[in-house]
Amino acid sequence: MTAEPVSGLERVEIDAPLDLAFQGVVRLVVGGIAEQADFGFEAMDDLQLAIERLLAETGGDGRVKISFELGDGVVRTRIGPLREGRLAAALQERNGDPGTLSLARILSAVVDSFGVEPADDGQIVVRLEKLGPPRP
Amino acid sequence: MSGPGNGDRAARQREDRELLRRYHEDGDPSAREQLIARHLPLVRSLARRYAGRGEPLEDIEQVGAIGLIKAIDRFDIEREVSLATYATPNVVGEIKRHFRDKGWAIRVPRSLQELNARMSGAIDDLTARLGHSPSVGEIAASLGTSNEEVLEALEVGSAYTALSLDAGPAGSDDDSDPMEAIGGEDAEFDRSEDRATLGPALAHLPDREREILRMRFEEGLPQTQIADRVGLSQMHVSRLIRRSLAAMREELE
Repeated sequence: MTAEPVSGLERVEIDAPLDLAFQGVVRLVVGGIAEQADFGFEAMDDLQLAIERLLAETGGDGRVKISFELGDGVVRTRIGPLREGRLAAALQERNGDPGTLSLARILSAVVDSFGVEPADDGQIVVRLEKLGPPRP
Repeated sequence: MSGPGNGDRAARQREDRELLRRYHEDGDPSAREQLIARHLPLVRSLARRYAGRGEPLEDIEQVGAIGLIKAIDRFDIEREVSLATYATPNVVGEIKRHFRDKGWAIRVPRSLQELNARMSGAIDDLTARLGHSPSVGEIAASLGTSNEEVLEALEVGSAYTALSLDAGPAGSDDDSDPMEAIGGEDAEFDRSEDRATLGPALAHLPDREREILRMRFEEGLPQTQIADRVGLSQMHVSRLIRRSLAAMREELE
């Protein structure tokens, strides 16, 4: 894990196995990142859930790079490069039928914005932005 | 303890087959529910073998129930095998997978488990008192511990465990022999095609979990409001959402 400041934002990167056994480790790191950004419990939980569900859609093989840029009340996350496969399909279902629950719908509820960028070799990088609610 | 006679067992298997036929051929969901209820005693019996390994028995039973449901859904009624025979390796496999996947989480110190238990009330109290979702630092200060310990204790409760099933057994007759299929045939799981939505799996959730997901992802309600509506702590709502989504994904695998 590395951490360095990037134009006023702190940057943290991890490179972790996609195996389910490491899900808790990733979640713990995300919790620490959210804590550093002064997120409340709910915003932290949302960000953890977003990343957990994204990783679950990748199929659990290989490794993943996750980078975080954190500032005052905001965490920007980049996940990937990842194989496009079912993840891309899951992210496209933004407005599924009522009663269905797509990954895109889940992300829409738990992060402030998300998107996909093309990467080398037909892979993709998923971007997430999560804002902490205004603190008194 | 003596088991049921051959006649009783044969009659029970015939009833199972009729229920399986009604479920698979007629699409009768009540037949599926009856099958689940009839075989929960088998799940409990198998789950007891794995008790005392750091997981509450209830959680092991819930994981095993998922294996049972998968077995019912995947059962091929053309095959000359009893449901109990077919389900047993599915249930055991699901439980073993659960322990394998939770290997990291179940070895947590008791102090963290206790902190996790105290945290649920603290988060709700602080949310009410402060008027916002408390930060890790605020939770730690209220509990007299460090930020790191709060994060670790949250993880204790967040680690994936199986979905809580509301369904209880319709009867108390535990006449299935859990040993009858050990070492028997493995289920031939059909991998479902990749699907973008979790919709089909949503229908398999208990009503409470389905309603919580609807409130969170359709109404867009925050956890605090959902917790108020369903009478649970915020942390419990968080855990149910996470478990439900994980269980739904597993259902599709």
